[in-house]
Amino acid sequence: MSLSTMLTSMGAGMLRSCLIFFLTLLFSLPLGMGVMFLRRSRIAVVQWITKIYIAIMRGTPLMLQLLMWYFGPYYIFGWSIRGYRFTAIILGFSMNYAAYFAEIYRGGIEAIPKGQYEAAEVLGYSKVQTFFKIILPQVIKTILPSITNEIITLVKDTSLAFTLAYNEMFSLAKQIAASQTSFMPFIIAGIFYFIANYVVAFVMERIEKAMNYYN
Amino acid sequence: MILQMSGIQKSFGELEVLKDISLHVDAGEVVSIIGPSGSGKSTLLRCATFLERIDAGEIRYMDKAAVTTDGNGTAEYVHHRELNEIKRYFGLVFQQFNLFPHYSVLKNVMDAPIHVQKRSKEEVREEAMELLRKMDLENRADAYPCQLSGGQQQRVAIARALALKPSILFFDEPTSALDPELTGEVLKVIRQLAEEKMTMVVVTHEMPFARAVSNRVIFMDKGVIVEQGHPEAVFGDPQQERTKQFLRNYQR
Amino acid sequence: MKKNLALLLTAVLTAAAIAGCGSAAPTQGAPAPEAKEEAAEPAEEAKEEAAEEAPAEESTGAYVFLDEDLGVESYAIGFRKGDDELAEQVSGAVKALVANGTYAEIGEKYPDIKDYLCLDAADIDTASLPEEGSGDSSYTFKHGFDLDYPPYSYLQDDGTVGGFDVELCQAVCEYLGWGYEAVPFNWDAKDMELNAGSCDCIWSGFTKEGREDDYTWGLTYSNNTQGILVAADSGIKTLADLEGKIVGVQTATSAYDMLEDSQADLAATFSELRVYETYTIAFNDLKAGAIDAIAIDMTAGSFLIAGENK
Repeated sequence: MSLSTMLTSMGAGMLRSCLIFFLTLLFSLPLGMGVMFLRRSRIAVVQWITKIYIAIMRGTPLMLQLLMWYFGPYYIFGWSIRGYRFTAIILGFSMNYAAYFAEIYRGGIEAIPKGQYEAAEVLGYSKVQTFFKIILPQVIKTILPSITNEIITLVKDTSLAFTLAYNEMFSLAKQIAASQTSFMPFIIAGIFYFIANYVVAFVMERIEKAMNYYN
Repeated sequence: MILQMSGIQKSFGELEVLKDISLHVDAGEVVSIIGPSGSGKSTLLRCATFLERIDAGEIRYMDKAAVTTDGNGTAEYVHHRELNEIKRYFGLVFQQFNLFPHYSVLKNVMDAPIHVQKRSKEEVREEAMELLRKMDLENRADAYPCQLSGGQQQRVAIARALALKPSILFFDEPTSALDPELTGEVLKVIRQLAEEKMTMVVVTHEMPFARAVSNRVIFMDKGVIVEQGHPEAVFGDPQQERTKQFLRNYQR
Repeated sequence: MKKNLALLLTAVLTAAAIAGCGSAAPTQGAPAPEAKEEAAEPAEEAKEEAAEEAPAEESTGAYVFLDEDLGVESYAIGFRKGDDELAEQVSGAVKALVANGTYAEIGEKYPDIKDYLCLDAADIDTASLPEEGSGDSSYTFKHGFDLDYPPYSYLQDDGTVGGFDVELCQAVCEYLGWGYEAVPFNWDAKDMELNAGSCDCIWSGFTKEGREDDYTWGLTYSNNTQGILVAADSGIKTLADLEGKIVGVQTATSAYDMLEDSQADLAATFSELRVYETYTIAFNDLKAGAIDAIAIDMTAGSFLIAGENK
């Protein structure tokens, strides 16, 4: 098998890996914000449930969670799971990453000095204005490095989708490597991940720089 | 009368911080509050600006009730919409400035008038530049707080508070976080405001300043007002033993 | 409110997962060499139990092989290219074990593959076989195998490694007087493991067809047939019925190779050929109705069916 054939057959997998990556970010970044609010809720039950949710999402392997999201509806409710595979993958990834993002957001918010809230309150800002105009921009700046780490992990985690027989790039690499008795697909896979993460790091660095106008 | 606080009580758990304090401020008055740390003077200011909830007592601004106390002795705050209206009457300058670090100097001053008071941008900009000129900061309008000295930051904070056109301005130890050589520029600005008959309540440790600028000095200790009066009276001829002791310690 | 429900659902699902798997976390990828057996165990347990967790289906024993098969393949022992002497020695020992009945004895323990064992004591020329205990007693033979390929090599209920290939290899070492070392590896990494020398052979239901030139081959000791596993009530009776159906297969298996190669025309009629990391997940999908059939070798397939009926 020539290199170009190998690249072509792995190309579809790369697109699938990218799809998982972007959809997961699209859903988990805002979802994490919601989880963070629930986690900081004054209602004890809500806070408690959210804590358990975060503990489970962070305390169990993502691979296991994917199996649960996919097979759970069938084994628990007897629902048909035909055609549900991709949804389950995105659901599993998003719910998992939302938990991590929620904790990062929370850390960032708790690092904002109380004086910022008080200044905003005395100046008459509403709660919503205070959060979006005063707190959030500062939070984003402080949490960017942690978010970058998480996103880089996500790039590599996309290979877990193969657990649910979704043929993303790395599973194709393994299949081609096995059938061709060749190490080449793994090298291609490695380069793909490296480039993807290089792009992530580059973009995030630009964003960090753009926010460096103040300390 | 701009501010009327009466029978204010405030405890943090077991600790009684304010014991039945009353404070009235008339238009154009400059009131200095002095006293040892832990005397409750900062807490009094935070209660007046609703950053802390009082347990009992009454607070009125411009004769509008913000907090009343019913027969049971518990404080009742008015609905938050009314409270927000009342908040427009005062401004507060913090010890730690609390400028918004991600906003430029000009935006720090302009943002609340535009987004809270919904005033026109052009009008606010003109006024903000005027305020910065007054603070001798017009050439730093585009700088960020982190690029300014502490004294400059505090002057921006004062401009920010003034931009909302408050009827009364509170200062919570405005020079305590500053290097000694920078306190002068901030005190100069406050003195200037006093000359313009701005109503102000200043919690401070700067005794010469309090003596020179205020119309009235209040000495607080252990949650009560021990003595108050004209600065010359309080500083020159204190009547209470605790006041004398405090001032003696201070002069050393 | 919806968000709360979603969270609750997550909690329930994951709690069920933890309960179902006895808190054993599956490990991924190739375990570190020194911790291979221990590390691989929980993964196996989790998968096996996940399969058993399934509620009894309305029809028991509801999974059957189609009468038509995909083809026959032979299982042999793969050695590094050039290790002819080692291949010779091990093959000779296997023959000796066939001759003395040990081979058949081990086969009795694995009814699923008994019929596929292709060596017969009567055919063995006992003249040129290695003597019992003739091997170097200081030598340890490193047996490389997939821990997830029952009944040839797998993790047994008691947590030890077992399977026909494992037992036969152990018997070979005992016969020659060698030490035995189990080297369970990630099947995808088998060539790297062998070439790196972390194992001396690949012996784990290892198909010779299509790989003739890639290894030095030892004795072919078993045949296997690749078949199609379906639900009995699916209405699928022949290979032609698979047209427009979704068929699952495990990656890097002979069944997969056949569907890519000699049976590519058949595979082209499927609506989809879904490639799995393990057959366990594929079988769960078959049970859940998410796919219509599984292409799998008869012995591994029989093992899955037997597990379901247990």
